[in-house]
Amino acid sequence: MTKVVIIDAAECIRARVIGPTGAEHRRLANRVMEEALNRANLHFEEIAYVVATGYGRINVPFADRQITELTCHARGVYQLFPTVSIAIDIGGQDAKGLKIKKGKLVDFVMNDRCAAGTGRFLEVLANTLGLKLDDLGGISLQATSKIKISSICTVFAQQEVMAYLAKGTPLPDIVAGLHDAIASRVVKMITRLKIEPDVVFTGGVAKNIGVVQALKQNLGLEVFVPAEPLLTGAVGAALLGKELVLKARERGEVIAAKERRLEEVTFFR
Amino acid sequence: MVVNRKGIERIKEIYQDRASRAQELKAGGKQVMGYLCIYPVLEMLTALDIVPFRILGQMSEPITKADACLPTIVCPFIRSTLDLGLKGKYDFMDGVVMAHVCDVGEKTSHIWRTYLNPPYYYFLDVPHTTHLAAQEQMKEQIKTLRQTLEDFTGKKITAAKLKQAIDLHNQQRALVRELYDLRKPDPPLISGAETLQTMVALMSIPVAEGNDLLKQVISEVKQRKNKLSKKPRLLIWGSIIDNVALVEMIESAGANVVMDDICVGSRAFFPAVAQTDDPLDGLAYRYLVELKCPRTFREATYGETKKDYIQDLESRFGYIKEYIRDWNVNGVILQAVRYCDIHGYEVPAVRDYLDHIGTPHIYLEHDYSEAALAPLRTRVQAFLELLG
Repeated sequence: MTKVVIIDAAECIRARVIGPTGAEHRRLANRVMEEALNRANLHFEEIAYVVATGYGRINVPFADRQITELTCHARGVYQLFPTVSIAIDIGGQDAKGLKIKKGKLVDFVMNDRCAAGTGRFLEVLANTLGLKLDDLGGISLQATSKIKISSICTVFAQQEVMAYLAKGTPLPDIVAGLHDAIASRVVKMITRLKIEPDVVFTGGVAKNIGVVQALKQNLGLEVFVPAEPLLTGAVGAALLGKELVLKARERGEVIAAKERRLEEVTFFR
Repeated sequence: MVVNRKGIERIKEIYQDRASRAQELKAGGKQVMGYLCIYPVLEMLTALDIVPFRILGQMSEPITKADACLPTIVCPFIRSTLDLGLKGKYDFMDGVVMAHVCDVGEKTSHIWRTYLNPPYYYFLDVPHTTHLAAQEQMKEQIKTLRQTLEDFTGKKITAAKLKQAIDLHNQQRALVRELYDLRKPDPPLISGAETLQTMVALMSIPVAEGNDLLKQVISEVKQRKNKLSKKPRLLIWGSIIDNVALVEMIESAGANVVMDDICVGSRAFFPAVAQTDDPLDGLAYRYLVELKCPRTFREATYGETKKDYIQDLESRFGYIKEYIRDWNVNGVILQAVRYCDIHGYEVPAVRDYLDHIGTPHIYLEHDYSEAALAPLRTRVQAFLELLG
């Protein structure tokens, strides 16, 4: 997904847009930006600074600067939860644990090499179960017990799930087991960061109430989820952009920004 | 037309085609011997005028032959070396000195012997601890190495020749330190990638030639006009790095790699051989005790420090603190080739030590493949962002 957040000097969000990404990052970044400008009722020239983040950050042609999603998430989460110590972000393709002290990222762990423990794991297995991704959370709440998934690999987990289906295990118990598998993997991964409250959970998977519950159980701690868990990275990028501009102004400098043009660019030419 | 390149240009030439010089010397009648890791005692080869040639892998080349005789879930670096051997890339060598470095190295040595049947083969059975009995065993092993080399070549390693070889290698070690001193200023005078290329080149040519080349490189680097820019200063610790791809990725993300603790770098060159009445004592001590690869088990004040973890860490990794201080290091990248268990065991301890001395660090695991480096870039960039 491609997200755009526009903030003003008072840190008020003027527009937020979430659009699909697809293979043509560059062109889509354009469209989502246009949409955000329309919603904010702004001209592109009025935007002081553009920070791009995430996997596609180098494919945003109109960005003034790229900052990694780890730094941006940390900043965004801190804005929403100033008491945050640990942020867990589970998205479609990776899982991250961030240690945040006084709003600054001080350490992190990341799994970006394998679908296990990410949103993709749930996507694949929802498909196996013939369920919609969005329904998984609700279904898991009806579970009376939960299955144990022992395989780390998504493909092998799929085989385990099929074996449970063959045995006639109720769907809610299987789904609850999958949520527990994700939560326990992520908790294991982030243990090195020395987990302390407050814990904040973001990313697309944070919309799944079943995983939120499983994380609480695995951590033995309260887990806070922002109202829009997909947007924290974009919010953080916008805030860091604002801070860069203000710092430059304090020093009496003009921050180098690109010409404000939105062109259709593609690498498929 | 033969172009006589000098200094860094020559280093890059050798780095691009590692075997070229050794093959040239071989064609001129010299013997060339391969060696695995940093434990084989190179002074013995140099004393017999044999060219020591370090067996390295090739990150950019897919492993296609080695999987037939090695499990796939072991160190991809070692798999790559055997793969190159099986593909005939090391056919110019007159023999190999292998060593019990790590388990995969040990097994692969034997597989190498079985499949490639080199004219000369020696397996240096390096002990895994450093106490006195182990040092004695190391010395005995070196004695046998000397004997078998003499038998193979029909030449004697006289005391004078051995002394000369030790001096030559010590001179190289001192020159490498001198080169590393040029990484101390901010910005450093030489990049991490160029330093690594220099280390690879030194491991591909006779030591005397390496010394001349090092002198050229040092004076060239000192007079450089186009300086590097100031960036966060990093130390890289861990498994072997024999290809510039990883270091280039780190430096292009916005850092200067100013120091290393790896075996194609300071780990291989910093310790010198001390003058001892019996030169084998100095050699055994240097190669067993002073080489700091985690393949050797160490603990502080043997047997006494179980209750004091920090003291134990201090005695094992205190030298890293000195590197951090002397090279003004802002952060450490711990990296290991996937399945490198010896470094894997050491990572938590090194991390605890770096936390103790207050140096930021990250740990990266990689597949010994150029293509697989891209996902690591985000981590390196985020690390540089948190260094500020």
